[in-house]
Amino acid sequence: MTEPSPLRRAATQRPLLEYKHVCKTFGAFTALDDISINIYPGEVVCFIGPSGSGKSTLLRGTNGLDPFDGGEVFFDGQILPRKQSEVRKVRQRMGMVFQNFELFPHKTALQNVAIGPITVLNKDRVEAEQQAMALLAKVGLADKADNYPVNLSGGQQQRVAIARALAMQPEVLLFDEPTSALDPETIGEVLSVMKALADEGRTMVIVTHEMSFARRVADWVIVFERGKVLEEGPPEQIFEAPKVERTKEFLSHLGWA
Amino acid sequence: MPDFDISPILESWQFLATGIGVTILLSILSMAASVLFGTVLGIARVYGSRLLQLVITFYVDTMRSIPVLVVIVWIYFAVPILTGINFPPFWSALIAITIHITASVVEIVRAGIESIREGQCRAALALGMSWPQVILNIVLPQAAIRMLPAIGSVLSVTIKDTAIASVIAVPEFMKRAETVASQSYQPMEVFTFAIFVYFLLLFPTTRTIDFIYRRVAHLGRS
Amino acid sequence: MTLDWSIVWLNKEALAEGALMTIVLTVLTMSLAVPLGIVLAFMRLSKWRSLALLSQCFVELFRNIPLILIVYWSFYVIPILIPVQFSAFTTGLVALVLCVSAYNAETFRAGINSVRHGQTNAGLALGMSQLQVMKEIILPQAARRVLPILATTWVSLFKDTSLVSVIAVGELSHVALQIRSQSFRVLEMLTAMAVIYWMMGYPQAKLSDWVRKKFEVKE
Repeated sequence: MTEPSPLRRAATQRPLLEYKHVCKTFGAFTALDDISINIYPGEVVCFIGPSGSGKSTLLRGTNGLDPFDGGEVFFDGQILPRKQSEVRKVRQRMGMVFQNFELFPHKTALQNVAIGPITVLNKDRVEAEQQAMALLAKVGLADKADNYPVNLSGGQQQRVAIARALAMQPEVLLFDEPTSALDPETIGEVLSVMKALADEGRTMVIVTHEMSFARRVADWVIVFERGKVLEEGPPEQIFEAPKVERTKEFLSHLGWA
Repeated sequence: MPDFDISPILESWQFLATGIGVTILLSILSMAASVLFGTVLGIARVYGSRLLQLVITFYVDTMRSIPVLVVIVWIYFAVPILTGINFPPFWSALIAITIHITASVVEIVRAGIESIREGQCRAALALGMSWPQVILNIVLPQAAIRMLPAIGSVLSVTIKDTAIASVIAVPEFMKRAETVASQSYQPMEVFTFAIFVYFLLLFPTTRTIDFIYRRVAHLGRS
Repeated sequence: MTLDWSIVWLNKEALAEGALMTIVLTVLTMSLAVPLGIVLAFMRLSKWRSLALLSQCFVELFRNIPLILIVYWSFYVIPILIPVQFSAFTTGLVALVLCVSAYNAETFRAGINSVRHGQTNAGLALGMSQLQVMKEIILPQAARRVLPILATTWVSLFKDTSLVSVIAVGELSHVALQIRSQSFRVLEMLTAMAVIYWMMGYPQAKLSDWVRKKFEVKE
């Protein structure tokens, strides 16, 4: 089990991810307005907030899929490069899980997990598939290895997608609303896989609307509204004694407290 | 690069312009007849008896395997031998192109009807409508909108097919252009001009239909 | 009215040669128009505006004029523009390739564009290069949508080869129409021509239906 994050934060540790004055606009809409936050190694950080508050935009800019307009991101002390060929190297060290799974429909579950190591890391196919098999077992889907995505439930697809991200042995996992597209009955299986990963001490950044999951699993919670950070802190503080009035309102809208 | 002499086009502009008129007339008539027959046969293809379905499928697949040139030539030369009735080339072309294009329309109508969800029919039946009412009021209007892009490309094919009617000397634009080209000994100018004319006929037509479809597409979703 | 069907049998060799020529034209045209269509599609999707515009103009032009006009134009105008004498066969082939590669370009472009953008993101997030994303993720998925349309184009092309008969390329319809005008057995020859086309075209039409069913994308 990991120690509570505030202790880590107190230590003079270098952040794994460091956002400095990040900005992004879509036309006249300001999606991110001067955001500066840190994410420390081994920490599970949940981004929460109303729809359109900028939390997903911040996550998607982290690996350069939707580059920011201004400000900088440092990953492991290195500034995130803008050049395609260089940002690739950084993406190989980050895993990403999408809201709509985005499994490759022309590949089986096993092939989906193995494709990263094979094409990007030039791993031997047999070796990559052995590793992929182990990862599928880890997410509880060893028996579905030869199924195509179309034959898997949403929850199963998302678990394969998590295994696909893990196959690159990433230093941080980025989750973009991983359960928003799921049927209520399959949300649990995905969350419990994520909980297990958190317990391993992995660094995870999770954009989510699952408040009880955030309360239970997060080491640190950041509340967003209109492209700004409303407040941040350990889950006990955010959920039990928020300092900002708007946080209280947002949580009570969701039926929390 | 040889000189470009457009005087033959200017000299025969009336001859060519009436050709364009015939092309447009032949296109509109063939298309209208094909949409009419194609819709009737398409409905029969989906809702008709087993035998009727087989016959229509056979007709459609036959037209998919025989070039329109062959149909045009056959109707023009062979039908008079069989029936003793001589049609002018325009009418032969109209009949042949209609027979050919109708088959495409049948397929489009069938696909359009089959794309409407069954729930739509059940909802209409639940309101107490009869089957003909369901088809007329619910299925066809939605299917018609979904069919629009495909109908647009069939219209484009129809206009192009009328150019093939030149082989039986229908006085449409392709035939007229050919005549002017051979009489003036200036095929480069005349045929290049013909490319412009056909492009100006076809491009706006397909674009307009695409434009209309984008405006009404939401009405066909269910 | 007396019919004499022996005329068909008497000319069986010429007809067979014509039918063979029809098939040769179809196969040759398609094997040239597929690579050309791919090149045109990638030009259209490229970052260079001028390249994309060039491809778009080519595609829109040849999709919006009748093939028979392209055939006439190639026959009469190409010899004026370039001082090389092509055979009628080559001219007909050029006209068919111009037309079909324009259609194929549109097919490939639509196929590539039909793959959701999220798929590209998922590939990039794994650290793939644009080229790897194209090869591993986009093209295999696009192929499923492209193949059925290519099959339909194939059947149309098979029929459209009949149009090069107007410049005396010795394919099936040209051969049959020649025999008709020499023998005056009009009904017999025209019917035979239609039946031969039917016998060759019908299985192809059914095969294209099968391809469409097999590759139909379920969503």
